Amino acid sequence: MRAASIAAGLVGTAASLLGLAGMLVWAGGAGPLDLGLIEIGGDDAFRWAWGGLVVLLGGVFMLGGARSPADLDRTATALLGAAMIGLVGGCDLFGMICTGIPAVFSPDTDVTAIFMPPYTPAVLLLPFVIASAYLLLEERRED
Amino acid sequence: MHWLRGVPVTALTADERWDLVDLVVGEVVSTGTVRRTLADALGDLTVKPLTGFPVALAVLYAFWSVFSSFAGDLVTDGFMIGFFDGFWLPWLQNVWPDPQSLLYFVFVGDPSAETCFDAFGVLTSGLFVSIGVVLPAVFIFYLTMTLLEDSGYLPRLAVLADTFLHKIGLHGYAIVPTILGLGCNVPAVTATRVLETGKQRFMMMTLLAIFIPCGAQLGIMLSVIPDLVGWVMLYLIVGFAVFGFVLNRVVPGENPEILIDIPPYRWPVRENVLKKLYNRTRGYLKEAVPFVLFGILLVNVLYLAGVIGAVAGALAPLFVTWFGVPAETVGPLIAAFLRKDLAVAQLSTIAMTPYQMITSVVLISIYFPCVATFVVMIREGWKQLLAAVAVLMVVVVLYGGAIHGIGILLGVA
Repeated sequence: MRAASIAAGLVGTAASLLGLAGMLVWAGGAGPLDLGLIEIGGDDAFRWAWGGLVVLLGGVFMLGGARSPADLDRTATALLGAAMIGLVGGCDLFGMICTGIPAVFSPDTDVTAIFMPPYTPAVLLLPFVIASAYLLLEERRED
Repeated sequence: MHWLRGVPVTALTADERWDLVDLVVGEVVSTGTVRRTLADALGDLTVKPLTGFPVALAVLYAFWSVFSSFAGDLVTDGFMIGFFDGFWLPWLQNVWPDPQSLLYFVFVGDPSAETCFDAFGVLTSGLFVSIGVVLPAVFIFYLTMTLLEDSGYLPRLAVLADTFLHKIGLHGYAIVPTILGLGCNVPAVTATRVLETGKQRFMMMTLLAIFIPCGAQLGIMLSVIPDLVGWVMLYLIVGFAVFGFVLNRVVPGENPEILIDIPPYRWPVRENVLKKLYNRTRGYLKEAVPFVLFGILLVNVLYLAGVIGAVAGALAPLFVTWFGVPAETVGPLIAAFLRKDLAVAQLSTIAMTPYQMITSVVLISIYFPCVATFVVMIREGWKQLLAAVAVLMVVVVLYGGAIHGIGILLGVA
């Protein structure tokens, strides 16, 4: 079992579970769900239903690709999954930055609070997704 | 005269000429086995339905997320509202003489207004909507659209969309005017020329004019009714599918197959992206902003002349009983012919239930195309325009009534 395989499997599993959790919290109207570093708001259908579905499917893709990273199509599938999770995480980060910039010019807003935890699951997954994609690409290069 | 090794080419024998051909071919043609790369595999996966649709979901999610974060949170909410409501409006109200005059009403609007949205003057709402709300929305929309085009993803989306669009008599490339229409319907109507037959062009133009809200309208919707945008879009998508299916059965003509050439994925070239972005944004500033300002001017003049009041009075029974919306929505609906985004902004100031708001915004979307789109449709042909307007009238009455009926069944109307 190679490192890329293990990484893709672990990140894929985490993303699938967290994506599903986001959808369930939204569907049940039980939000916000606070898990320490992670918070699932569940208040916005676009973010938690659609975005959660993208994270879930990205996780499934990564799991599918983790089974045999030596196979070109499987590697590509895992990388697509990583890109999908990365897109959601990147959009969440971009949203934080877009909220944070005006706060810099507003004296009554604490800018640091905007960038402090808890984060959305996709933001927390982002560094792991990037590391996993890097390992997959490195392994492909070696093959 | 061409020479080869001191001999004129015309003096060569046939064999020598063939040798020369071999020599040239050997220099310029390389042969070998093509090795499938990771980029090829990624390209294939994004057109296969099983993997392509989830990727399309992710790309469209990112598209709208970036759109609302940049246009809504950063530019409009972050800076423009503060500037226009905190500085521009109070300053205008202070320096413009005689708040009771007609000119004050037309250019500054309501003297007691605290926001540019409520003021509804040419220099208050007009500038705020066109520069503060719509410009950032259009800018980020065109940027993301250009990146999708230049990276090579858009043709792949066309392949995926072909499955659905073929069922309503169109083909995959109809996704281009559809997505363009979400920015502005004016270039989208022109883009219907990518479709081959008259039937397809007419269908696409009609569906665009009725069911595709432009970036300006989307920007306003995200600003004033963010919680309801999803429901409005759902009704519009369902309407697009249902009436597309019906039109395909009713309109005579052919729906030919299409072969799409899919380019490899590429990093967009910065110069090309900037050039496209500049041209498209400049087009918006030249074509749309004057319409916004002129629209408010005309609505205010019609209001002062009592025209809007009279029309609203005549149409109110139809709106209240058939569509289930307040009588006050007639005014914004008349204004929608000039600018749909302004009409949505006007709606947001009327007291009504969330379902009535959804119905009103859908009605504004499916009712007459804005005047700029109307002008472009005239250019595409009178007969097509008249036919499209006839379809549009039927759709407004049927679909508007159906939405009211659904609301009654759900107990929310």
